[in-house]
Amino acid sequence: MPSEHSHDHDHSEVPSDLALRVKALESLLVEKGLVDPAALEILIDTYETKVGPRNGAKVVAHAWSDPDYKARLLADGSKAIAEFGFDGRQGKDIVVVENTEQVHNMVVCTLCSCYPWPVLGLPPVWYKASPYRARAVRDPVGVLKDFGVTLPEDVEIRVWDSTAELRYLVLPQRPAGTEGLSEADLAELVTRDSMIGTGLAKQPGAGGTP
Amino acid sequence: MPKLTADNVEDILRKGDSARLPDKVSAKFEPGQQVVVRNLNPLGHTRAPRYIRGKTGIIDRDHGVMIFPDTHAAGTGKSPQHVYSVRFEAAEVWGPDSMFPGRRGAIYIDLWDDYLDRA
Repeated sequence: MPSEHSHDHDHSEVPSDLALRVKALESLLVEKGLVDPAALEILIDTYETKVGPRNGAKVVAHAWSDPDYKARLLADGSKAIAEFGFDGRQGKDIVVVENTEQVHNMVVCTLCSCYPWPVLGLPPVWYKASPYRARAVRDPVGVLKDFGVTLPEDVEIRVWDSTAELRYLVLPQRPAGTEGLSEADLAELVTRDSMIGTGLAKQPGAGGTP
Repeated sequence: MPKLTADNVEDILRKGDSARLPDKVSAKFEPGQQVVVRNLNPLGHTRAPRYIRGKTGIIDRDHGVMIFPDTHAAGTGKSPQHVYSVRFEAAEVWGPDSMFPGRRGAIYIDLWDDYLDRA
């Protein structure tokens, strides 16, 4: 963006540079016959309404409930996740890393915005933004603090930088006091952020967080 | 490139885009080995983040054989080779100012054979 571009005016009147660029790209792809606009509608609908973090929550709740499934999930993430029918782009090679009393895992893509789409949907804006990408590897304790998470000092922090085509999913710790809960109730405790590692699973009866 | 249409888009999304290759290529390293990241500064595309160049880590796991993005992006071939998750201790990367204060911490980075040397 040119430096003389000031931001003291209301952008809602004129589309932003980014929106204009997207529109220009879309027109080009359609006019050159590479993309049918109806295909774009289906693509957007898929990631807005069908694929999202509720998929990952089902996988996590099942892993909490079934030790055999958890073992399969940690051994071959994509294969175990495909048992739910969750598969596809940005998810052919998913690795699942487990949070325990001793280890907390957190995922970042310092180079761009790699993210396991089939289980989490599209990444949140902050995940793609430079501050998170730069700080997650350098100051994970501070990042966690910003997300309201403080871990005991004896917990090792492991940050996974998705530089290749592997996609990482965190298996959060199952909250205490959830022994009697059904898988459906357990899934309600699994937040998107707990599967990125910037959050923890909710306690039963706690309010809603991302 | 086939046109993306309402009829094929769901299939294309489902099939995905694995970078895995069937080529039989032997791995240069195995889990537990110490490696150092080459100080490569190519003008083109690379996936070795700048902050890790020249640092020493330990091979955590071998992900198998995949497309090498540096040559693939340059149009000079897929150069099939092993990709590993390599563990770097926080202090090795950030020195005494390591921002994992008072605790054990490490960064795991996926790196290809061509980025690594035996330490």
